[in-house]
Amino acid sequence: MIPAPVRRPRARRAYQALALLVALVCALLASHPPGAFAVTYVKISGSGSTWSANAIEQWRRNVRQQGMTVNYASVGSTVGRTQFANGTSDFGVSEIPYGLTEFGTTDTPPRRKYAYMPIVAGGTSFMYNLQIGGRRVTNLRLSGDVISKIFTGRLTMWNAAEIKADNPRLNLPARRIVPVVRSDGSGTTAQFTLWMSKQHSSLWNDYCRRAGKPTPCGLTSYFPNIPGSGFVAQSGSLGVAGYTKQPQAEGAITYVEYSYARNAGFPVVKVLNTAGYYVEPTASSVAVALTRAQINNDPRSANYLTQNLDGVYTYGDRRTYPLSSYSYMIVPTKEEMGFTKAKGATLSAFDNYFLCEGQQQADRLGYSPLPINLVQAAMEQVRKIPGAETANIDIKNCNNPTFSSDGKNLLAKNAPYPAACDKKGSDQCATGTGGAKQPTTQSGSGGATGGGSGSGGSGSTGGSGTTGGATGTGGTGTAGTTGGAGGTTNGGTTTGGGTTGGTVVDPDTGEVLGSGQSGGGDTTVAASPVSLGSGDALGLRTALMALSAVLLVGVVVGPPVLARLMAGRSRRDRGAA
Amino acid sequence: MPDRVFRGILRGGGTLVLAIMLLVGGFLTYRAWQALSAARWSFVTTETWEPDGGHFGIAAVLVGTVLIALVAIVFAVPLALGTALYISEFAPPRLRRTLISVVDLMAAVPSVVYGLWGLFFFQGHVVTVARWISTYFGWIPLFEVDGADPRDPLATATVFTSSTFIAGMIVSLMVAPIICSVMREVFSQAPVGEREGAYALGAHRWGMIRSVVLPFGKGGMIGGTMLGLGRALGETIAVYMIISPVFVIQPHILQNGTSSVSSLIALRYGEASDLGMSALMAAGLALFLMTLVVNFAASSIVARSRSGAASDS
Repeated sequence: MIPAPVRRPRARRAYQALALLVALVCALLASHPPGAFAVTYVKISGSGSTWSANAIEQWRRNVRQQGMTVNYASVGSTVGRTQFANGTSDFGVSEIPYGLTEFGTTDTPPRRKYAYMPIVAGGTSFMYNLQIGGRRVTNLRLSGDVISKIFTGRLTMWNAAEIKADNPRLNLPARRIVPVVRSDGSGTTAQFTLWMSKQHSSLWNDYCRRAGKPTPCGLTSYFPNIPGSGFVAQSGSLGVAGYTKQPQAEGAITYVEYSYARNAGFPVVKVLNTAGYYVEPTASSVAVALTRAQINNDPRSANYLTQNLDGVYTYGDRRTYPLSSYSYMIVPTKEEMGFTKAKGATLSAFDNYFLCEGQQQADRLGYSPLPINLVQAAMEQVRKIPGAETANIDIKNCNNPTFSSDGKNLLAKNAPYPAACDKKGSDQCATGTGGAKQPTTQSGSGGATGGGSGSGGSGSTGGSGTTGGATGTGGTGTAGTTGGAGGTTNGGTTTGGGTTGGTVVDPDTGEVLGSGQSGGGDTTVAASPVSLGSGDALGLRTALMALSAVLLVGVVVGPPVLARLMAGRSRRDRGAA
Repeated sequence: MPDRVFRGILRGGGTLVLAIMLLVGGFLTYRAWQALSAARWSFVTTETWEPDGGHFGIAAVLVGTVLIALVAIVFAVPLALGTALYISEFAPPRLRRTLISVVDLMAAVPSVVYGLWGLFFFQGHVVTVARWISTYFGWIPLFEVDGADPRDPLATATVFTSSTFIAGMIVSLMVAPIICSVMREVFSQAPVGEREGAYALGAHRWGMIRSVVLPFGKGGMIGGTMLGLGRALGETIAVYMIISPVFVIQPHILQNGTSSVSSLIALRYGEASDLGMSALMAAGLALFLMTLVVNFAASSIVARSRSGAASDS
């Protein structure tokens, strides 16, 4: 009984000391606001384009270290513009401005005050999933006309003569072309259809007519999908790229920003420019092309700084990638719809970051940096944001690869010229593109490689398929590995005829698979994709299937029936006894 | 007195649920009115969806929704029935607890995860099954696939992707846990007396299940299936990620391209104009009414069957 009252005051004292300590800690914490940053930033959120999302995603990760929280939802340009107009986001990102008319419907500009600001340049690229004889094609080249025909359903097979004309050293398989388009409202679709409507208007108008749309149809954010045409529609750039890269989507081709193909590890199409060269959308070829972009330079115009790309499409420089464009951020210029000065401070700091330092990373991310005049103009636009921090940024210290002392676009000036094999003609570079840099095994073309295919033929009878390289002999080598019968057949054809080994015979069925190919190397192409036994509906396969079905039914039905029979017999036995 | 308060609270809760549902229906009707009065009866018969062009209707999306839900139910019900029977009748007690929590976990996985998994992994494997079905059963109109040629070794597999079949299978994985937990609950309530009675009459375990558990749980089975159907009709994000939307009635369930009401709303609400939004509300109203009908049908079936009282046989 005695120790209890003694202990209680001691315990109380301990509690008091603890409370004092807690209060002290709280006071200390309160007097020192958390974070070691000079400025505290409030959180901002934006939404829009998936085209430029890879760059924005990287930039917002970078500024997080500076205490800035920028949320970005890549939901497509159309949704981005609508959400900005409704005031549900602090900034929008879009490839096209407000006020354009699509199929007779005008996208009305928002009532809130806003300004456009270019954020990054890039190329709308064509990512594809195609194999020849089990090896990925990484050097496909297409002209604008062929691309338009593919995406308007006029070319449906990869072995079409027009595609062959663009790719003299590829023997493309008789596979269906599966165009993968966007199902949601998309700035990428808008840029692509704008290009088609300007450059290949008859094809595009014809497609619109077939899709039941009013013509002449210009750009649209919604790719019209004709049911039953074999097109696949997926949502978001990630959706179309993800669909295209799947193994069962062989033959698919889609349009995404170059960075998506790079991230997916897939090649992109080299597109033919006016100078007659097939060019990949690298940072430098986009920079060269965009030197011909007409920028709206009237600060009083509602569309100040927006782009007119007509000159880009037809620019005659050999290094031009024709489908280059800028992506834009839509920033608020007035405190309204929940946008405050505090948010303006964050947004302006973020903008100044990516306009200056962020541009260095553009190339690595699969984009192209902005030239100096657009960076300066964009920084002027940033000052219009309410609460913008007036940072004095010396543009020379941004290390933007396009900047030079004399104000010329250094990246465009120093851009490498395309190799001779990229010129339209009978030759073709084997080097890979996009995210797939491995070279493609090419077939021979013309008499120069006739000898090569002959030696490949003899190699195939020996069974060594590894010697075939980019010289066009690989074809027959691969044929040798597919099986004894096939190998010798092809080898025989090749050694006998050299360059005439045109038709390839399926070793299982005797069916003629490829026809009208040129050069002995072709045999590779058609010889290996034999994956289905053809026409033997009543063959071994069906018999095995029937057998397994019978077995399955037996396993399910057998035991109860057996049990009942045995039970019945034992009952009968018992009855007899 | 406390009894009366308790009753009052319960009654208030019940009325509130009804009131909220009426408000949802009323709101949808109010917002849909603009589009419905513009389209009138063509709203039910038109297949295309172009509200800004004045042509829009739910014929195609409604058929797609029903087909996806039916495929989902066809896969989910046997799976759920088997799982529920195993858990409630056969599994040893320790395994039973693990299995119950695993099934509950399956129900807790967000649908976007199922969508991603379906798009990037599952689809590639199911395509083979779809190709097999179309090769051997393509003569049935439901399984016909345009553009598929089993004799062409270079034929593209893409005609089998993004189909009603694949979307339905993904949805079936999402509704199966719900159906399963409802069925398991009912099966475990089958009266012990009748189970013992069945055993006493010489039934083996399957005989007991067939004559006691299943008839007793019939109402729960139907109710659970209908509940799953209701969820399958409204499933959005996973379907949105899998399908390639087309706005025509697509009866070929293995073929690329389908559509559903909820994925249409998810696809278009962000960028809809005034009339477009109203048209989407009208589509939502149609879905709402359809789920109501399904659920009422379910509850009337459940009420008519003798579930919970005693077994039929």
